Amino acid sequence: MLRFVFSLGLLFACMAPAQAQNASAEELVRHMAADVTAQVRKNPELVNSQTQLAALVEQRLMPRFDFNRITQVAMGRNWPRASGGEQQQVVTEFSKLLVRTYSNALASLKDLDVQVRDTRANGGSDVTVRTQMIGRAKPVEIDYSLSSATGGWRVYDVTVEGVSLVTAYRDEFNGVVSSSGVAGLISVLKQKNAK
Amino acid sequence: MTYVARSALAGAILLAGLSLSSAAIAQNAEHHDPIEPFNRGVFGFNEVLDTVAFKPLSTIWNTVLPEPVRTGVSNVFGNLDDVFIGANHVLQGRGKDAMTDFSRVLINSTVGLAGLIDVASTQDLQKGEGDFGQTLGVWGAEPGFYVVLPLLGPSTARDTVGRVARVASDPRTYFAPVWSYSSTGLEFVQVKADNVGNANLIDSSSLDKYAFTRNLYLQRRAAIVQSGRDAAGAH
Repeated sequence: MLRFVFSLGLLFACMAPAQAQNASAEELVRHMAADVTAQVRKNPELVNSQTQLAALVEQRLMPRFDFNRITQVAMGRNWPRASGGEQQQVVTEFSKLLVRTYSNALASLKDLDVQVRDTRANGGSDVTVRTQMIGRAKPVEIDYSLSSATGGWRVYDVTVEGVSLVTAYRDEFNGVVSSSGVAGLISVLKQKNAK
Repeated sequence: MTYVARSALAGAILLAGLSLSSAAIAQNAEHHDPIEPFNRGVFGFNEVLDTVAFKPLSTIWNTVLPEPVRTGVSNVFGNLDDVFIGANHVLQGRGKDAMTDFSRVLINSTVGLAGLIDVASTQDLQKGEGDFGQTLGVWGAEPGFYVVLPLLGPSTARDTVGRVARVASDPRTYFAPVWSYSSTGLEFVQVKADNVGNANLIDSSSLDKYAFTRNLYLQRRAAIVQSGRDAAGAH
């Protein structure tokens, strides 16, 4: 009996930090969503200005994203083949492209509210916070994958209605790298960002 | 050799060849796109058509018609679609979901004035997701090769079979041609106009629009089939 109580105690002791971890990832997502919604409500003109939206995304959301990991996954097998300098350049250019993608998406998702559905532990320091945006006939499901491996929760993938953003770029990156190398990828990204 | 034995042998060789080639493909890429050059051609054709015809049409549609009218048109087609969504949920063994779909049709066709107003969504009867391609997937069919259809856009071998089933089971197919075509055409323009935002988003975020679109389509379809399987398992 004593052993049972002891192991139960041990189990709870192990579970408590894990739960606290999940809660803080969830808190972060909730905070990010509330923050952006509040900013847009305060200044409705924001959604009409691409530069202002991009600035909002860059200041408020991007510090919470792990661009190193995002770029690494998107590049897949080509990541270790690139030099340190090239890797850094791809990270910089790709994050610019993502800021733009994200702010464009935000403009079309105005008037919507974010609700956190639940948080799933993926093992290790890895969780998925599942949310939905309500306000239209059909809610839009958005899942945030977060990791605390590098200290503090950071987002490393966003999945919209079952479509992973990082995976979406992997095919493209692969195609560009196999036809024109990592240097080609950097120049294509630069061109895209200059437009 | 008898006819039966010969066809069995031919079948075995074909199967061996197929499994070999699919193993090779699985190693090379995540997608199965053996007719990529052809697909890219059709994709380019669709892009031109979008630029010269559908984008201008969508712009006119979105500027000329007031929001309530556009929503109404979208709802009428959505109401018709709910019948097919319900039928597919039945085929997938999702009785409860099918009940929701058919209740939506019943409410929206009456209280919702022949489908113009989506009353059901305000009554906690949420629109489902279901089509014949998904049903085939839930039954275990693989997506097969990726194909870009003229006008219609991204699809797979499985989803194309699903589309044919949809057209064949749509009563509008058997209307007098003038009604059949004008209704289908109207629905087409409405869907295009609804998706202008998404199309622009893909334009601004992709490096190779063909590869990006293919990836988005295949991921989305896989998610739809998976959610169908989950729901069928929960029933």
